Amino acid sequence: MTQAPAGAAGDPAAFRAEVRDWLAGHVPAEPLPSVDTAEGFARHRAWERELAGARLAVVSWPARYGGRDASLLEWLIFEEEYHAADGPVRVGQNGLFLLAPTLFAHGTEEQRDRLLPRMARADDVWAQAWSEPDAGSDLAAIRATAVPVKGHRKGHGEGGGGWLLSGTKTWSSRAAFADRAFGLFRTDPAARRHHGLSYLLFDLHAEGVTVRPIRQLGGETGFAEIFLDEVFVPDSDVVGPVGDGWRIAMSTASHERGLSLRSPGRFSAAADRLIALWRRAGEPADTAGRVADAWIAARAYHLHTVATAARLAAGGTLGAESSLGKVFWSDLDVALHETALDLLGPAAELRQPPDPDGRSPDGRWPDGRWLEGYLFALAGPIYAGTNEIQRTLIAERLLGLPR
Amino acid sequence: MMDLTDEQRALRQAVSALLARPQRRGPRDRSDGSDGSDRSDAGDRSDVSDQDDEGDRGDEGVWRRLCAEVGVTGLAIPERYGGAGAGPVETHVVAEELGRRLLPAPLLGSAVLAAQTILATGDGAACERLLPAIADGTAIAALAWTTEAGHWDPAEVAFRAVPAGPGAAGDGWVLDGTAHYVLHGDRADVLLVAARTPDGIGLFEVDPRTAGVRRTAVTSMDPASRLAVVELAGAAGRRIGGCGHAALARARDLACIALSAEQVGAAQRALDLTVSYTTTRVQFGRAIGGFQALQHRMADLHVLVESARSLSYGTAAAAAAGASYDSAPDLGLRAAAAKVYCSEALARVAAEMIQLHGAIGITWEYDAHRFLKRAHSTAQLFGQPAEHLARVASMLIEPQS
Repeated sequence: MTQAPAGAAGDPAAFRAEVRDWLAGHVPAEPLPSVDTAEGFARHRAWERELAGARLAVVSWPARYGGRDASLLEWLIFEEEYHAADGPVRVGQNGLFLLAPTLFAHGTEEQRDRLLPRMARADDVWAQAWSEPDAGSDLAAIRATAVPVKGHRKGHGEGGGGWLLSGTKTWSSRAAFADRAFGLFRTDPAARRHHGLSYLLFDLHAEGVTVRPIRQLGGETGFAEIFLDEVFVPDSDVVGPVGDGWRIAMSTASHERGLSLRSPGRFSAAADRLIALWRRAGEPADTAGRVADAWIAARAYHLHTVATAARLAAGGTLGAESSLGKVFWSDLDVALHETALDLLGPAAELRQPPDPDGRSPDGRWPDGRWLEGYLFALAGPIYAGTNEIQRTLIAERLLGLPR
Repeated sequence: MMDLTDEQRALRQAVSALLARPQRRGPRDRSDGSDGSDRSDAGDRSDVSDQDDEGDRGDEGVWRRLCAEVGVTGLAIPERYGGAGAGPVETHVVAEELGRRLLPAPLLGSAVLAAQTILATGDGAACERLLPAIADGTAIAALAWTTEAGHWDPAEVAFRAVPAGPGAAGDGWVLDGTAHYVLHGDRADVLLVAARTPDGIGLFEVDPRTAGVRRTAVTSMDPASRLAVVELAGAAGRRIGGCGHAALARARDLACIALSAEQVGAAQRALDLTVSYTTTRVQFGRAIGGFQALQHRMADLHVLVESARSLSYGTAAAAAAGASYDSAPDLGLRAAAAKVYCSEALARVAAEMIQLHGAIGITWEYDAHRFLKRAHSTAQLFGQPAEHLARVASMLIEPQS
């Protein structure tokens, strides 16, 4: 995202039409199996390759890495169309939306050339390895270590040195089936808290790595615990200066909380589906206000994001204000799904609703997905930094209240 | 916050600087040291209008300068009718600044509601006759529209009009009825009324000094709101344009949009004052703004104010982009959404402002109650939030209606 030039050449309307046409011809008619199953993961990876083949996987990236140099506003258009077409979950989203911006900002030319094209084609699907059992909201309490070692390892080229990673990472989304991970490790054991941390990349299939999938409340293994026992990482997979990991990670955090992870198109599409559901339910008066509220809030988030994108295109930066968007969209997502479940009534309780007509007008949205969506929405106020942490950031960084 | 142009930023600065000039102060600002200890707890004093203490002379002066030096009333009026030919976003910038100061200015009632109604009729002669004086601020215009029920419904108007009898001069009409909640209606120089005629809804110009016109100022809870009852008993009127329904609908949309800017300005100021107060008020040996229980409430208010601002300015930009009503068919939907969201945002921020201030928030002396009252009065103007929410819901079923 950060590499997107302001106002890239191109006609936004033509771009929207191209995206819409392509998606209409390619989005699978039946939803793919859940991304958090082995089969579903493979199917989603294949979908990413199809997107990449049409140069639609990473439109805002430079062309040399598989993108189109699209502007941030064009990226928002892509997202609107993608969610309106009910495109599959982006299995590569951790890499695409969190690691890639970090590499653009802090990586080396060699790292970008080596990692980004593979990420764009989903040859490598990335997981995030930040949290630990005792470092959740208090991320600076990280204990996993990276110890420097001399000499090379088999398969990692001649000469140079590397690092040995040890410790436990947890709540790592997609890690059960992903290929690689990016994480924060303590490289200076004498330093405390957010000092002495470094940002390293590692292979989830390397010697010394054990991945234990964790079953989520929806029943699937959406995240995992990662045990590391002297896992070798070459120097070339350290992002940014050693010891500067906290600052680098926080620049990723702004992207995670802000517009890149949850674009407004997602909520506009959900609000439109909610309206369709409400009409099918006979437009009950007692829910009219909540449906309208959800539409208004999705519209507010859209306008807020467009304004943020314009500011970024004009040279602004995304800092603590990304916390604001995170609180807003995560609360909206929960409220919107609660309204949908209330509209469905007892049918919402069934994973396979009996009503064969119980679908959105385009036939792609079985009612059972509202329950899935609701269970997933519950994680929104927690991941990417809990909303309580975000509120404290807003209070201290944006409002200037005393610490 | 959308990106403003350099001209719009300069406009904001000009209005803000003018509003920040030292005004005549009410007794509470001339207070001696006897209540100085309380004052220090209040943190950054608000500089909201003091109109309730000494009449409105001070605010009148500010308003005259805003008209004469900045030309705020002519911003959204075309140049051929004496205005600046700018648009809803420029009006928005001014309305937000007025909202911050809770200034009881006639911008909303005269330059937005009445002037935009006249413009929307498409009656060129009426525009030439009435708009130049409204544009330069020498005349205040009022639109008498709604009944005591206060729906501001384009199909439900307060007056009845019949053509004057054959003996009457020209193409005159005779009007009867009573309109409520007329902004600046008691002192308006130009009086516009909405009436049901034998051929539908019509708009009329009535000379406020003519026989059969009775105007009564009413006292409202919100000192920043100046309302009147306008009664017509066989008063003579001159018709403007043809069917008035579309003009009223358009004017209501634009008024809701401009009002949302006032609400955002007031909500931002209320939050600023609350942050300032909790940063200086010390209990348990520390500023209370450092307590998480308060911090998170203020953080939520910040999220609310920022999202309201985005919605409000985004809606003004949509209104500006659609030069004619037909090219922006969903303006009504967007305007209703802004009215709902910004009304509720200000209501919540103002209510929280009182709670977060503690006892001083309950006093007359401190300004928190003025924001609460402004929240209430603006929510009632141009249709209540619940009515607009129902409109949003109904328009979502048939978005083009």
